[in-house]
Amino acid sequence: MAENKEYVPPRNPGGISRPGRGGVVVKPKNMKGTLGRLWQLTRGHRKGLGWIFLLSGLASGASVLSPYVTGKAVTAISGGDALTWILVCLTGLYICDWLIRFLQAFFMASIGQNVIHHIRRALFDQIKTLPLSFFDRHRHGELMSRLTNDVDNISITISSSMTLLLTYAFTIGGVFVMMVTLSPLLTLVAVVGVVLIFTLTKIVTKRTRKLFLERQKVLGSLNGQVEESISGLSVVKAFCREEEMEREFEEKNVRLCRVSIRALIWSGYLMPLMNVINNLCYVAIAVFSGVLYVNGNIGDIGLITSFLLYVRQFTRPFVEIANIYNNFQTAVAGAERVFEILDEEPEPADRKDALSLKAPGGDIEFRHVKFGYRPEKMVLKDISLKIPAGTQTAIVGATGSGKTTIINLLTRFYDVSGGSILLDGHDLRDYRMEDLRSAFGVVLQDTALFAESVRDNIAYGHPEADMEQIRQAARVAGADGFIQRLPQGYDTVLEQGGMELSQGERQLITIARAVLANAPILILDEATSSVDTVTEQKIRRAMLKICEDRTSVIIAHRLSTIRDSDMIILLEKGEIAEQGTHEELMALDGRYALMYQTQTG
Amino acid sequence: MKLILQYIRKHLGIFLLSTFFLTMEAMADLLQPAFMSYIVDEGVKNADVRQILFYGLIMLGIAGAGAFSAVMRNQFASRTSQTIGRELRRDMYHNVQRLSMENIDRLQPASIITRITNDVTQIQEFVNGIMRIMVKAPITCIGAIVLIMFQTPGQAPVMAAIIFVVSLLVWGNMRIGYPRFGTVQKKLDGLNGVTREFLSSVRVVKAFHAENEESDKFQESSQVLAAANISALRAMAIFSPLINLTVNFGIVLLLWLSRNQRSTEIGRLMASVNYMTQVLFSVMMISNALNTAVRAAASAGRIQEVLDEEPAQHMPENPLTPKIQGEIRLEHVSFAYAGAGRESLLDINLHINSGETVGIIGSTGSGKTTLVSLIPRFYDAAEGKVLLDGCDVTQIDTKLLRNAIAVVPQKAMLFSGTIRENLLWGRADASEEEIKAAAEAACADEFIEQSSQGYDTRLGQGGVNLSGGQKQRLSIARALVRNPRVLILDDCTSALDARTEAAVLNGLRRRAGQVTVLLISQRISTVMRADHILCLDNGHVEGCGTHEELMASCGSYQAIYESQIGGGLNG
Repeated sequence: MAENKEYVPPRNPGGISRPGRGGVVVKPKNMKGTLGRLWQLTRGHRKGLGWIFLLSGLASGASVLSPYVTGKAVTAISGGDALTWILVCLTGLYICDWLIRFLQAFFMASIGQNVIHHIRRALFDQIKTLPLSFFDRHRHGELMSRLTNDVDNISITISSSMTLLLTYAFTIGGVFVMMVTLSPLLTLVAVVGVVLIFTLTKIVTKRTRKLFLERQKVLGSLNGQVEESISGLSVVKAFCREEEMEREFEEKNVRLCRVSIRALIWSGYLMPLMNVINNLCYVAIAVFSGVLYVNGNIGDIGLITSFLLYVRQFTRPFVEIANIYNNFQTAVAGAERVFEILDEEPEPADRKDALSLKAPGGDIEFRHVKFGYRPEKMVLKDISLKIPAGTQTAIVGATGSGKTTIINLLTRFYDVSGGSILLDGHDLRDYRMEDLRSAFGVVLQDTALFAESVRDNIAYGHPEADMEQIRQAARVAGADGFIQRLPQGYDTVLEQGGMELSQGERQLITIARAVLANAPILILDEATSSVDTVTEQKIRRAMLKICEDRTSVIIAHRLSTIRDSDMIILLEKGEIAEQGTHEELMALDGRYALMYQTQTG
Repeated sequence: MKLILQYIRKHLGIFLLSTFFLTMEAMADLLQPAFMSYIVDEGVKNADVRQILFYGLIMLGIAGAGAFSAVMRNQFASRTSQTIGRELRRDMYHNVQRLSMENIDRLQPASIITRITNDVTQIQEFVNGIMRIMVKAPITCIGAIVLIMFQTPGQAPVMAAIIFVVSLLVWGNMRIGYPRFGTVQKKLDGLNGVTREFLSSVRVVKAFHAENEESDKFQESSQVLAAANISALRAMAIFSPLINLTVNFGIVLLLWLSRNQRSTEIGRLMASVNYMTQVLFSVMMISNALNTAVRAAASAGRIQEVLDEEPAQHMPENPLTPKIQGEIRLEHVSFAYAGAGRESLLDINLHINSGETVGIIGSTGSGKTTLVSLIPRFYDAAEGKVLLDGCDVTQIDTKLLRNAIAVVPQKAMLFSGTIRENLLWGRADASEEEIKAAAEAACADEFIEQSSQGYDTRLGQGGVNLSGGQKQRLSIARALVRNPRVLILDDCTSALDARTEAAVLNGLRRRAGQVTVLLISQRISTVMRADHILCLDNGHVEGCGTHEELMASCGSYQAIYESQIGGGLNG
């Protein structure tokens, strides 16, 4: 698999990305429905969330009250009244505010993370049951970003965005009430300011959205060019294309720079403009309240202080809410991508009356099997063949002739589109999936090893195996020798998922794995070209040794491997072209004979 | 950080202008409460409406000036940060293009890519941030403090105490909070590792019905990550409300100390309270900015590494420009990859006449690819000489050298663009006939003509929309378009089935005689008909000669033959 090193974009520490300021906002398709489902996911954490929401309310209560008390203090000072109690009150308010904020953040941390963990688990449990066709359709990088980024985003929606929105809503409401109580006229000034801010934001974001989208596109194309040209640098050098590449790069680079500057300048207008409006409000209120005080319309001077503090508190949430709402939208869109996976059809569950398969005999029969990965393109067209128990069958053919597809069908990675495959006289689909897969020992072309010890790798899927069995399996596979020579022998941990071993050694470990599984039917997909032929012979010998006395199906690329098979099947474009023993096929002097001659010279 | 300064210096004028406007902006913000205090103390106290309006107008003027500064600052800051980003990208890309493969191996392509893309963006944001917050916040903070002392001189000790406590908290947050986020990143990598492993081995997982074990592994990683996150977020939960609380206490103290101030200076007191809130916001901003600075410093380090990398190979000072015929000679050549413990090639001697076809065979890791990489100077021999037409390749003009050689690498690498554009990589001035002829010889003409737009069909990044075999055939055609003197084929037919391979090799053979061909393969049938066959093992030449000669004399060659053709399984 060439894709197993997909690039996963790094994240900010804390996992909070802020698309609101400058990023591109992805709009969710179905906001309401998705939010409903998100709410379902919080089951088990709702009590905690309730507390958090309550704390948000209290927090905004404290911040709404403190300017009022501050104003009272100023009045007291100017009037020479007793200050002590007012200050005690204020101190109390601040301590409450601190406590609430602390508790809120503290509990949010665990609740938020537990929700993430919960969703991630659910998502993985779903992914693992999905059929292979799903994995063939989706790129690994994309799936990984759903498991990490999107899930994190969901939790951010639930935790920070929600609480912030809530806090702001409370604050705005509370401040508004306080302001109206203090002075309706001054409140009007503040409201005008907010309306101005809103209109301006609308106008600016409409402009910047387009610019940021364009920037995203140019950035994507630049990154693509970098990726392609750096990973293919040897070819670039071989063909002396360095200068052309640089020119192409610089062209995109300049374009990106230009678009970014425009986008940034436009979005950059927002903050100063808001600041101006804020300041204007401030001035207006200072002047108005001054005049009102002089005319005797306002009773005390502390009110001006309170009001000035309130204006700041009133306008700031409006500025922030726009950002948070954008984050919120992005998160909901991420949640939609997660739900998309949760809605995927898993591998068909076993039927209620599914047969158990305790001691499979190994008689396999294909009856008019048809199959296509896509309905419009059949890969196997009407395959019928019989593999009697205990015999060795080899399947050969050109790339794309459908060899690997036969394995995919036998192991039920995919189900046939037409016809049926029988094992011991019953359709594969009648058996319990787990039993069926235990019946097959599979050695696949891609030598998937895990970043665990060699021992665990061999015992993969059979954690109950003891050391003696593991060593015996390695011996049969001819892997014992090199494993002993590893620094920690069987306990050597393959840190890089086996990349520290040679291709041949990796293959031998996977063979040992199949030996240990001790399955009655063996399916071997011969590795293609990455192994040299001498190593390959070792592998082949190991393969054939474990095939003795078992039903086995070998997908072969080198015909010399399978000359002694009981039956050789030549596939061509999804159909059986020739079939028989080596001698029969050679005597036929058809395609097989031709292939054999080309390969052996 | 040095790196950032160095690039900022290039735009020092604009940068300073931007800082100037930024300072103006901060000043405007700071002056507002001061004038507000005049409104209160002089206008309101004396019931003088004209004074109130007068100061109000001044405040409006200041607000306007502040807005103007902000707009100017925004222009300059955006321009500078993006231009610096552009220059960093350009300089890195330029340097990478002139590096040798040895450097690239060491830095690793994937890492270079992230550095050019992500790390530069990080710096860009940082520079932009400097010009927004990092200069403004300290100015505001210091200005506010100075103004508080000016307005209410009695408050100096309180201010000092508060500043002390706040800096202590910010420092504590850095010491305790940031490392935790580092741990989070590591645990996240762990989770990604488990997921990647699962995704790339999903067939095996299913075949061994080990879904539940994978699920357990994933759960464990996810749990560990959640725990790390909780610990980091909790550290944050402690510090940031504490900073808030400290500044709020400052306000209370301010009020308490002013209890005897009486009415004359009430406006000043109000201004001071206001400044206190401004201090609070600035401190929060500085604390956030430090976070970005830490990350930017890490990015700057990674970028610097790429910029500082010197090409491992030296270009000749007085390059030779011979007319290249294609006669190759290797004299006592040894080579080891950087960081590899042992030699990949050891004392190789070889002579190939121009126009000959030489097959190279040997097990994986025997040094086949390394050997041919020395000829177009992807790497330079550590010892001995590689000669082309009698000239040391390290002395030949590199462009001339590489123009005379065409390489078809093991992994077919194509580039986004049309099929024709890809083939023209071979030679920019190749005619339509030459392109078609090359495609035909590589057996690529059939599928090209069948694709929707023929030669104008667009390929995705890296040629993703083609099959492995198609990519290999295009890669061969691209080399043929070059019409080279030396053609290097590095096991480039592995994804082709035997019949197509035979056809491709026939196509090549028709061109033989005019070019020197080095043909690497795993399959003995592929190299058998070459003029000479070089059999490598572990960096040594095990044998060199025709098929018959090697069969008679070379043990390794016989073993390979046996494994592929000879006695089959019993051998």
